[in-house]
Amino acid sequence: MNKYLEYQKENRIIRKISSKFKVEVSIQRKRRVWVAVSKKDLVEISNFIKGIGFKHLSAISVTDLIKEKNYELTYHVWSYQDNTLLTIKTRINRDKPTIDSVVSIWEDNAQIHERELHELFGVEFKNNPNLTPLFLEDWNNTPPFRKDFNWRDYVRDEFYNKENKREEPYWDAPL
Amino acid sequence: MNDMFKKQEFSDKQKKVKKLKTQMKSLWVFNWFNSCGFIELIPLVGSRWDMERFGMILTSTPRHADVLFITGYQTIKSIKRAKRIYEQMPEPRIVIALGSCSMTGGMYWDSYNTIKKLDNYIPVDLYIPGCPPRPEAIFEGVQKMMEYIKNNKKMVSKS
Repeated sequence: MNKYLEYQKENRIIRKISSKFKVEVSIQRKRRVWVAVSKKDLVEISNFIKGIGFKHLSAISVTDLIKEKNYELTYHVWSYQDNTLLTIKTRINRDKPTIDSVVSIWEDNAQIHERELHELFGVEFKNNPNLTPLFLEDWNNTPPFRKDFNWRDYVRDEFYNKENKREEPYWDAPL
Repeated sequence: MNDMFKKQEFSDKQKKVKKLKTQMKSLWVFNWFNSCGFIELIPLVGSRWDMERFGMILTSTPRHADVLFITGYQTIKSIKRAKRIYEQMPEPRIVIALGSCSMTGGMYWDSYNTIKKLDNYIPVDLYIPGCPPRPEAIFEGVQKMMEYIKNNKKMVSKS
């Protein structure tokens, strides 16, 4: 099939977005589109995207790029009109991870993910009214899913006693 | 003065044991779970293993329960709730821990969010090992508990 015909739908979505905003766009394959966005434009673009049919925010995820000192936030948004998954990517500084919340746009779909990412990665979502942790109630260490959190050391210090003979193997075990 | 105090304590214990012995004919069980141990305890309620023939029955509130089953690992969040459940139970109370997770952490021995030894948080009377334990093992454990109470003059629960 002609390549232009094959990606007709995807190209139409891309044209709509890039006519309004300056973004990097790429088509991964059929019905999968990636958009790279700067941190400031995220809320505006999300608002626009919801207007053109992307009503279901199915996931938000964080990748900890420790060498580049960045968090990469990925928003997966689904459109029921076009049957297309749009992936929005932004990067934020991993030492000061703050970003605007999208709760005002996608509401409860976003809320549970933002709470989870705040709990596990320490990302601060501005304007989110409720960021209480889901499971780690009294946690005051570094967030556990950060790559610089040494969880083996943490577990040994917290739960195992070095002087107890039966627990020695836990300390000697190779990492 | 001291002797009197001891006597009083002893008779209290005796009362507890007596009460326990009568209750042993109908154990009411409350089950606190957040892992696979619960799924292994469910067959006991059904017709195949049928724990009601031993007088055991599941209650919906810890305030009516004699036995607390703690099944599987506890997270740092859920152990707080387990403590509160334990405090709500009337005396004399028995705690039975199911599965290897409650003894050593099991396969979660290096997890940052699960507790490793249940004994550090709640006084446990009986551990039933297994990953998860078979229904027969649970019956054997409960039977041992009953025999222990019958033969022993000591109070079972540590509190």
